[in-house]
Amino acid sequence: MFDNVLDNYAHSNNLKDANTYFKVLFVISTMVMNLISTSPVIPLIITFFMSFLIIFEAKIPLKFYLKFLLIVPVSFGLLTFIFMSIFFGVGSHILEFGIFNLAITSDGFNLGFLVFARMLGGFSCLAFLALTTPTNEMFTVLEHLKIPKIVIELAMLIYRYIFVFLNEAVNMYHAQETRLGYHNMKKAYKSMGMLASNLFIRTWIRGEQAYQAMESRCYTGSINTMRSKDSAKTIGLKNILFLLMFEGFLILGVYFTANFRLF
Amino acid sequence: MNIIETKNISYFYPDGTKALENVDFKAKRGKIVALLGPNGAGKSTLFLHFNGILRPNSGNIIIDSEPLSYDKKHLMKVRQKVGIVFQNPDDQLFAPTVIEDVAFGPMNMGLTDEEVEKRVKEALKKVGMAGFENKAPHHLSGGQKKRVAIAGILAMRPQIMVLDEPTSGLDPRGASQILRILYQLNQEGMTIVISTHDVDLVPLYAYNVYIINEGKIIKEGSPPEVFEDVKTIRKANLRLPRIAHLMEILEKEDKLPFEKPYPLTIGEARRRILKEFNE
Repeated sequence: MFDNVLDNYAHSNNLKDANTYFKVLFVISTMVMNLISTSPVIPLIITFFMSFLIIFEAKIPLKFYLKFLLIVPVSFGLLTFIFMSIFFGVGSHILEFGIFNLAITSDGFNLGFLVFARMLGGFSCLAFLALTTPTNEMFTVLEHLKIPKIVIELAMLIYRYIFVFLNEAVNMYHAQETRLGYHNMKKAYKSMGMLASNLFIRTWIRGEQAYQAMESRCYTGSINTMRSKDSAKTIGLKNILFLLMFEGFLILGVYFTANFRLF
Repeated sequence: MNIIETKNISYFYPDGTKALENVDFKAKRGKIVALLGPNGAGKSTLFLHFNGILRPNSGNIIIDSEPLSYDKKHLMKVRQKVGIVFQNPDDQLFAPTVIEDVAFGPMNMGLTDEEVEKRVKEALKKVGMAGFENKAPHHLSGGQKKRVAIAGILAMRPQIMVLDEPTSGLDPRGASQILRILYQLNQEGMTIVISTHDVDLVPLYAYNVYIINEGKIIKEGSPPEVFEDVKTIRKANLRLPRIAHLMEILEKEDKLPFEKPYPLTIGEARRRILKEFNE
């Protein structure tokens, strides 16, 4: 039911040792291209390219990636696509349903498709980052980008304790299941509610204990930790060239496909 | 020479429940002291007094012949001297990677990056966790987490290491690894205070034993002295070490000549039995 495979891949994929700054720069600039494109072509190219990198370079199993990509993002995106093409836009109808005067208009369809394509592109960029970069290295980059320290500290603690509480939640869930807590809908709701409230109380207690443990190690209000030695300076010429070429290609693509429409 | 000494301390929880009552606890420098007691007897509460996390309602605490005062500067100093390893490593390990967690203490002490790095490396090596620097704590086993937690304290180079139930929840191999580390540290001169209810292990390593029950110290002495008083041991929901229990049964039920003091460890029992046979 709950698992942390995503985090396992982030720590053990084939690209984990690639320079973190490079990965972040690559993802952000590609996402910008994805957003400024006014036709769905570039976002789709980005989706394919990122998926290619994730599967063949980072060596994330195809099955996991598809599950990761398809279940929530794609189904959510398709839903948006359908609604946008029906309810947005005016102009010529390309398909009429015959009931309630519902019809798909060409601008609605184009807009919906663009949003869908951008969503796929954006998601594949984020998936690339999430699947190839250990979270702790992201914190280093964030610190470098002058994100306020308190935000990073909170993120660090949240990241760590997600797994602790996930574990506790799984244990509680199994304990409830053992005592038939989920054998019908009504029981399931009740059990889930109990699990949630109990987990909340536990987070409180755990927070108190973690604070005592930190105080014992001379905690004075800010978490100073050692950071990894990657820096923007060690990206390497080859990587920078690749980045420039790829983004250049995307910019040209954005320019030439600006007026491309399916209908 | 006592490095930790509590004089008559009492502590009440905020809701008024008594947690500790007139506790006198002493730990000699360079020794291993065990605090034995059932669940909820006040072991953890007492430990949190040693570095000023909790403040007693009455009584004094003396660390390294200096009375504990609660101003910020002194507390910093005491917390470097007295390192506490918490029972649940998940409470202690908060950072996303092992190296960041171990570095947390020394970084707070304001050491230079090179010094911190050196200490972290050394601490991880001592607990046998070198090579795990960039692992996330949730990818480690229970015993490994515990060892990282110990490394986090070791990196601060304390004089006293206080461990709350260091072997609870570990498999026998994990537990014996932890004990070996502690034994090694003690050989290097560190004072170690452990709370436990594993009575079989206590006679193996402890120089001195305290028994605490319902917030009161009810017995104190060397392992043979403490385990001689079977009544008190059982009153505190504890038991004799298995080997001593066997000797007690052999004496009482089978009328074999194994009179008190019962041997507490396998080694002692072996010598005793051999002696009986040879006579």
